[in-house]
Amino acid sequence: MASFGGWRRQASYPSSVVHGVSSTTNASASSRIIAIHSAARWRAHFDASKLSTQLMVIDFTATWCKPCRLMEPAIEEMAAKFTDVGFVKIDVDELMEVARAFEVQAMPSFLLIKQGKVVDKVVGTKKDELQRKIEKHKI
Amino acid sequence: MALSGFEGFEKRLELHFSGDDPVIGIGLRQLNFESLEEVLDAVQCTVVSAVGNRYFDAYVLSESSLFVYPTKIIIKTCGTTQLLKSIPPLLGHASDMGLGLCACRYTRGSFIFPNAQPFPHTSFTDEVMCIEESLPSNLRYRKACVMPSKMSSHSWHVFSASDEHHILVQHMPDVFTIEVCMTELDRLLARKFFRHPGDANSGDVAGKEMTELTGIRNINPRALICDFGFDPCGYSMNGIDGVHYSTIHVTPEDGYSYASFEYGGSISDNHDDIGEMLKKVVQVFRPAKLSVSTTSGKQDMCTYIAKALEPLGLKCRSSAKDEFPAAGNVVFQTFTSRRK
Repeated sequence: MASFGGWRRQASYPSSVVHGVSSTTNASASSRIIAIHSAARWRAHFDASKLSTQLMVIDFTATWCKPCRLMEPAIEEMAAKFTDVGFVKIDVDELMEVARAFEVQAMPSFLLIKQGKVVDKVVGTKKDELQRKIEKHKI
Repeated sequence: MALSGFEGFEKRLELHFSGDDPVIGIGLRQLNFESLEEVLDAVQCTVVSAVGNRYFDAYVLSESSLFVYPTKIIIKTCGTTQLLKSIPPLLGHASDMGLGLCACRYTRGSFIFPNAQPFPHTSFTDEVMCIEESLPSNLRYRKACVMPSKMSSHSWHVFSASDEHHILVQHMPDVFTIEVCMTELDRLLARKFFRHPGDANSGDVAGKEMTELTGIRNINPRALICDFGFDPCGYSMNGIDGVHYSTIHVTPEDGYSYASFEYGGSISDNHDDIGEMLKKVVQVFRPAKLSVSTTSGKQDMCTYIAKALEPLGLKCRSSAKDEFPAAGNVVFQTFTSRRK
């Protein structure tokens, strides 16, 4: 007889989303994620990306958005794993025009870009969906 | 009806806070994840996925949903969760931010398996007693009521408390809430919320498939959706669209099938849009029985709801209305499908 009650659905959790939060990764030393803070730097980076066929993932976050914190360990993991994909982090308050240009309404938003065009999008802390889409578009 | 099974009917808690500081900023949204986890541990559920926009953060939980606004928290949980245990830690964390509780509302339908519930959810009297013990004394105005219907399986329990500054609904922001509870879902439609045997996909990928296949995606095409398909069955989603939220939770098993739809709107919303939205919800599940509770909506909303549902073969069997501190008017209507 199955047990009914509050923990019935435990098995399906994407556990790294929950448990990864308390361990802080040393982002600056080993992270492949490039944090872009200026519009000029973004323009340069975006223009350069159009010249290659490499997939770029932009992580749009906000300092006040707690759901973004949930996804941080997962995105670091993906950046370390997919070395043939570029990862960029943009704060929606710092680069409001860029966020608006990409129609970012909620965070975290992950935009997958290839040769200057948006090929896919993931909104929310959906680790498995993001991973699937990266694997699909990076080739 | 099965002898026992997963309890779909939720318990819902809404807490409103206020503070002396005129600039509250992001308020409760500052709550760090460890504090939220502490609250959810007490309730016995965990975060499955999350998203935030400029107005609020929305979390899909293992047992339903959590919405965090700067001065308002809504937690809705199903199964045998201990929802009321979230009150003391939430009040503690809010107090650390200089925020005090000014209004509180607890609502639920009738449990399909009332004997499976832990204390104090064994009776509404015990629940009210338990909530009251956790409330600060400045919430002087309190009311508890069971709103009846002709169907014993669908009645509506409401407890509401307010301090002297928020007792009239005019003092609260112009929002309203629609809570829809559906039972005896169409069996073929409910099957869409079961995972395929051997399906190795993750819950969020499965959830997205269910959202598309069942037509839930079309209820509000503008909304950003966080969805999850549970193993072996079950579904949860939060939809966010500007200030509006919606949330759907499904327990599809035959014998105790249940689905809920909740929408947080503003009183400036168009009636026809709301009617269309409810129609689409009913078409996803085709329940034999349905109840709708509308809190602090416009006076004539119940007429619109009945008008929207009648063409789908749902006959209004009862309608009850009552007024509550801070919440304003609560209207409770029940419907049964003519096909049965």
